[in-house]
Amino acid sequence: MHAVKPVPRTETGSMAIALRGGVVILTLLTAAVHASLGGVLFTLNAAVYLALAVAMVLPAIAPVRWLVRLALLGFAVATIGGWLLFGARFPLAYLDKAVELALLVFLAIEIWLFDGGPAGDLRRARRLAATLVAALPGRGVR
Amino acid sequence: MTRHAGRAIVAGAILALIGAACTSASGSAGPPPSAPPGGAVIVAQDLAFDRTELDVPAGLAFQLLFDNRDGAPHNVTILDGGGKATFVGETFGGPGSRIYAVPAIAAGTYRFRCDVHTDMSGTLVARS
Repeated sequence: MHAVKPVPRTETGSMAIALRGGVVILTLLTAAVHASLGGVLFTLNAAVYLALAVAMVLPAIAPVRWLVRLALLGFAVATIGGWLLFGARFPLAYLDKAVELALLVFLAIEIWLFDGGPAGDLRRARRLAATLVAALPGRGVR
Repeated sequence: MTRHAGRAIVAGAILALIGAACTSASGSAGPPPSAPPGGAVIVAQDLAFDRTELDVPAGLAFQLLFDNRDGAPHNVTILDGGGKATFVGETFGGPGSRIYAVPAIAAGTYRFRCDVHTDMSGTLVARS
């Protein structure tokens, strides 16, 4: 049996638009729910979601979109985890968690299709780390 | 992904987000409603309770009138000294009110709080 290796696709076409639209709409939906709760923590959460939604569609950020996807995925996981540990249980909260779980599914599909899966992201992360280390003072080209 | 599609999605959704944020704004002000006979009353407004101390009868079931004047959801939960919930009131968005039927609790000092905004809290004293 052969392992299925994801081959990164370009982020164009109707599939990409549908996926990206889904990610942005779900991100903004959960941002709206958190914003509606009021209070500093929920407002900050909404602001981060909003910033990440914008970053998902800004053309200037296209080269590091993989990083935005990972950040959004990590933030959604952390938000769900925070709710599981400390959150209040009421209908709107359950609805919001469903939205965030759907967001995780959309992000996983994007990562699989456009980044070459976790292995592709790992390669990119290593390259980025190497670039950053090389840019440190005293490590650059003389 | 076309630029127009992306911008349209983000612009529309930012407006929706601002609208959602506005729903957490507080509703009408006014004096707190009267407490049910033998019970207590508490009001949530501007992400705060109107009091930090609440006196209730010990050893008797009582009614707690909770008036939520915020758009944001709130509730009232009563915690014992160990942090264990003795009573958990329904969480609901305002403006609106509920009369919680709280079972009898032993004399002593408890904490009450909103489960959604845990910084909204106070002390509940059950007196015999």
